[in-house]
Formats: sequence, C-alpha cells, structure tokens
Amino acid sequence: MKKIILVASILLAVASCKKAESAKQENTAETNASQTPKTNNKIVTLNGGITEIVSALGHEKEIVGTDVTSTYPETLKATAKDLGHVRSMTIEPIMAVNPTLILASDKDINPELLGKIKSSGIKTEIFKQEYSVEGTKKLIEQVAKAIGNTDYQKLNDKIDADLKQVQPIAKKPKVLFIYARGNMLMVSGTKTPMDALIGLAGGQNAVTEFEDFKPLTPEAVVKANPDVLFFFSSGLQGAGGNEGALKMPGVSQTNAGKNKKIIAMDGGLVSGFGPRLGEAAVGLNKLLIENTK
Amino acid sequence: MKTQSKLYFYLSISAILLAIIAVWSLSTGVYNFNGASPYKVLWEVVKGNENISPSDTYVIWDVRAARIVMAILIGSMLAVSGTGLQGLFKNPLATGDLIGLTSGATLLAAIAIVLGGHFKQYLPEVVQFSLVGISAFIGAFLSMMLVYRISTSGGKTNVVMMLLTGVAITAIGFSITGFLIYISKDEQLRDLTFWNLGSLAAATWTKNIVLVIVLIISYIVLIPKGKALNAMMLGEKDAQHLGINVEKLKKEIIIVVALMVGTSVAFSGTIGFVGLIVPYILRLLFKSDYTFILPLSAVCGSILLLTGDTFSRSIVEPSELPIGILTALMGGPIFIAILIKFKKSL
Repeated sequence: MKKIILVASILLAVASCKKAESAKQENTAETNASQTPKTNNKIVTLNGGITEIVSALGHEKEIVGTDVTSTYPETLKATAKDLGHVRSMTIEPIMAVNPTLILASDKDINPELLGKIKSSGIKTEIFKQEYSVEGTKKLIEQVAKAIGNTDYQKLNDKIDADLKQVQPIAKKPKVLFIYARGNMLMVSGTKTPMDALIGLAGGQNAVTEFEDFKPLTPEAVVKANPDVLFFFSSGLQGAGGNEGALKMPGVSQTNAGKNKKIIAMDGGLVSGFGPRLGEAAVGLNKLLIENTK
Repeated sequence: MKTQSKLYFYLSISAILLAIIAVWSLSTGVYNFNGASPYKVLWEVVKGNENISPSDTYVIWDVRAARIVMAILIGSMLAVSGTGLQGLFKNPLATGDLIGLTSGATLLAAIAIVLGGHFKQYLPEVVQFSLVGISAFIGAFLSMMLVYRISTSGGKTNVVMMLLTGVAITAIGFSITGFLIYISKDEQLRDLTFWNLGSLAAATWTKNIVLVIVLIISYIVLIPKGKALNAMMLGEKDAQHLGINVEKLKKEIIIVVALMVGTSVAFSGTIGFVGLIVPYILRLLFKSDYTFILPLSAVCGSILLLTGDTFSRSIVEPSELPIGILTALMGGPIFIAILIKFKKSL
C-alpha cells in the first residue's frame, strides 16, 4: 500500500508540474511577441557601461536583453528583458531572447557562462574595460565598431567637454567610498571605478593600501581618516541614510564623521564608465567642492 | 516474486519514471523554439538535419540535453555513494556531506579556484585543465581517510565520532573557505558562493563523458557489493567468517566513494543530502537489503536530482535557484526523522 501511495503521489506531482509548465510557456510566447525588433541587430548587453554606449549611439531599440547593472536609460526597462546578474546568469534565458550579438565586459562575466556563450555560436564581443578616460573612449570606439556605427566621436567629444567643467580643488579631499549592501560593508581600494572617478573629480582615494574591494574595519576607517564618505544612493539608503552612515564603526572618529560630510550618487552613473563619465566626474566634483568648504 | 525478478521489476518502473521526468525536463525552459516542440527539434538534431537553426540546436542539445544527462549522472553517483557509505559504516547517517567528504572536496576546489592562478603555470597542461576536479577528488579522499581513521577502532565504527569528525572537517573547511572569501576578488567571491550551493548550469558533453567513465568504473566495483554489505550488517567478524575480505571491501568502497563525490563536486559544486534522502526512502520501502537498494539508488538518485534541477531552473526564471538549496530543504527533515528513529542507538 505504502509503495502504491508513494508512486501515485510522485506521478501526481509530475503531472501538476507539467500543467504549470505549459502555462508558463504561453507567457514566454507573449513576451517574445511584444519584443518584435525594429532593426536587424538583436543585442544582449551584459554591462551597464556598454548598454549606455549602445543606447547613446542610437541603438537602444535593438537591445533585447540586459544585465542587472544596466539601469540607464530607464526606458530600456520596457523594451529589454532583464536577465539578472552576470555571475548567476545561465545561457538559456539569453538564448530565449534570440540575440544576434552579445556584448559583455571581461571583468564581471562568470567563466562558465562565457564558455557557454562562446560555444553557442552567437556573435559575441568581450571588451576589456579600463577605468580611465582613455579606456572609456577606447571602449566606446570598440562597441561602436561592433554594432556597425562609426559616428562615435561625438560621445568622446562630450566626455572631454564635460571633463573641462571639473573645477580643480586646491586641497584634494580624501574620499572613502563605502559599498554598502545589507550588512556587508566594503571599501574600495585602488583599481576600482570609484578610485578612478574620485581622481577625475579632483579628490583622492582615502584607501591606497590594497586593490579592489575589502571589508570595512573600524581601525582601517580611522586610519584612512577620510574627509568625505561616498556612497551609492541605493547603498546609503539601505544603510539607514546619513544617520546610519555616521553610526558605522569608526566613522565618528574621522574628519568626515565629525563634520558630517556624506555624499551619495547613482550607482550606474558612478561605476558605468560609459558615455556619462564626464557627467559623473562633474557631479562628484561639485559635491566634493560643496562638502570641503 | 523471486527477489531477482522483483529487483528487475522495480528497476524498470524507476527507469520508466526517470524517462518520463527527462521528457518533462526537456520541454522545460524559457527558450522558445519558434513554436516547434522541443522533442521534434531534438529528433531533427539527432537525425542530423542541417536546416535547424544553430540556436535551436545549441539550446536543445548543448544546454538542455547536456544538463539533463549531467543531473542523471551526478544524482545517481551521489545516491549510490551515500548508500555505499551507509553500508560500510552500518549507519543511515553516513553520507558524503554529513561526514565531511563534500566539505573536504569543496575546500580544495575553492583553493584551486582562488589560488590556482598562482601556481597553474608550473603544472602540466592536462592537470591545469582539470585542476579543480583533481583537487576536489583529493579533498574528498583525504576527508574520507581522516573520518575513517578517527572514528573506527578495532573494526568498529563509532557513529558519534564519525559525525563529529564530519562536523570538525566541515568547520575547518568553512573557516578556510571564509578566509578565501576574504582574500578573493569580488568576482571570485560570487563564484565561490555559487560553488557552495551547487549548480548544474555548466554542464557540457565533455564533462558528461568524464562522469560516465567515473560512473562505470565505480559501479563495476560497487554495485555487486550488495551481498557483502548485507553480510557487513551482521558485524565485521561474522562477515569475515562468511568469506568476505572485509579490509579489501572497505578500501574499495572508500576509494570509489571519494572518486564519485570528488568528481561530482568538481563539476557541480556542493549538492547536499542526495546521498541521505534516496537510501532513506528506499530503506523504508525495501528494508536494508543492499542487493536491492544499491542498484535502485542508482536510478532513484537520478530521479531526485533531475526533478530538483528542473524545478531549480524553472521557478525563478530567467535566473535559477541553486540546486543545493532545494536538496538541503528536502534532506533536513529526513535527517531529523532518522535522528528521532535511531535516538536510542546513537
């Protein structure tokens, strides 16, 4: 009897899943229909900066899928499918949007997904992303070539024009970037987008002892003694706003804590290193000037 | 029914069930084959029809079919290694993950991921390619030896010692993995997290071939050991009297299990509890007759993992739930059930 019940319940479970499945497939069919492309290319971009470049070159309509860091332009939300984070993404959802071209950066894509993408036979360009003005210009040029658009100079010119508006700051403020997500707090060392942007905006990174991101320790914060604390807007909000930031271990001992100098900018704008690089530098430059008076 | 024909009957039933689930799994996924049925596309691919679009071929053959086969192979090996260990240790709580095998394999695999870059260039090319896999096997093997040495004295295995050794190995593994997380870069960090929860997303036919070879070798050694394991339940001395070379049996099982767990971990990360759930259910149905549950667990392990994996890649699409979360969710309650049942004998 026991065995019969077991077998029956397994069969039942399988049958009910099938039903759910067929319902889901109908859904997928609908989404695909609403995404009928308007041009020949169907592009999947797996990096916020690259997404911005493709859009700024006027090919926004050709983007059919993006990763989670592609938050700009916001209109993309309606037309491109969000495929999630490149580290946990799998190949089938990418194939499901039927791309003809996949654009990604070498920095964040996980090796297994990269292997799968390469063997899928879809035309793929993996770009090396360098966090500098020259690197960004090179990236813009490469992305433009990949999508068959030669009219990219105007984007590079705009970056130069924007950067000219950056005001020099006589005494470079020490800026500590804190990457806050939930309870995890990381500070950014050298060779990070934030390190590069802080430099472009006329400040100096308060942390130069290590590369990449490391967990924040109270002693390290006190030792770094930043003049300004710098967050992603979303991160600062998640950490409990300015109040929350001031309560972080060690912060009250620093110049930034004593003078309550806390600034925040949009994460996509700050870390994208795309066509809005100049804009981001000018924005940060203004905030730094206001907060070091 | 005779025991032998009864076994074949249940084996065929489970094999049919596995086939049904595989068919269901093949049709599950977010990719749309331009309205065509996935089965038809697969059939055309198998026939060698060149008019099928490369994307369709790729998704059905290299993504879905490869992944289904990998789930079948790994599920089978994890379940059989659990059953084999339980026979060896004469205890239903002995599984690769609970006695620290999986943790040992994961630890060395993690070391290979994070630090591999530093010494890779000094190794021969064949080893470079499979560095993570080889490390996982070594990790599983060392943990196995450690658990066995510590928990067995005078031919008797102390269950509490065995589980506690597992706890210790897991703790050491956890702390060193924690250190690796601390020194790793952001992207390695994410790979490690993914690794710790298991996934079959990276399935390829090359990996499947390696798994098939490991599976065949292991099963040739392990599956005929049912009678010997039954005899072991009487105690090692009695088994010896029945003409079983106990020491040789132990060594063979240890090596084969380490090989299977190590290879599985290397290709799919940590997928816990399969080796606990499957033998537990089979034992409920057929008592502890290893001539029965060893071959049956080979098929039922596949059923469990394939079902779990199909759910894991379809319930949160376009992303997927790490499979380890699902198996642990199922395994936890069964672990507690076993503990309650064997409360007095532990």
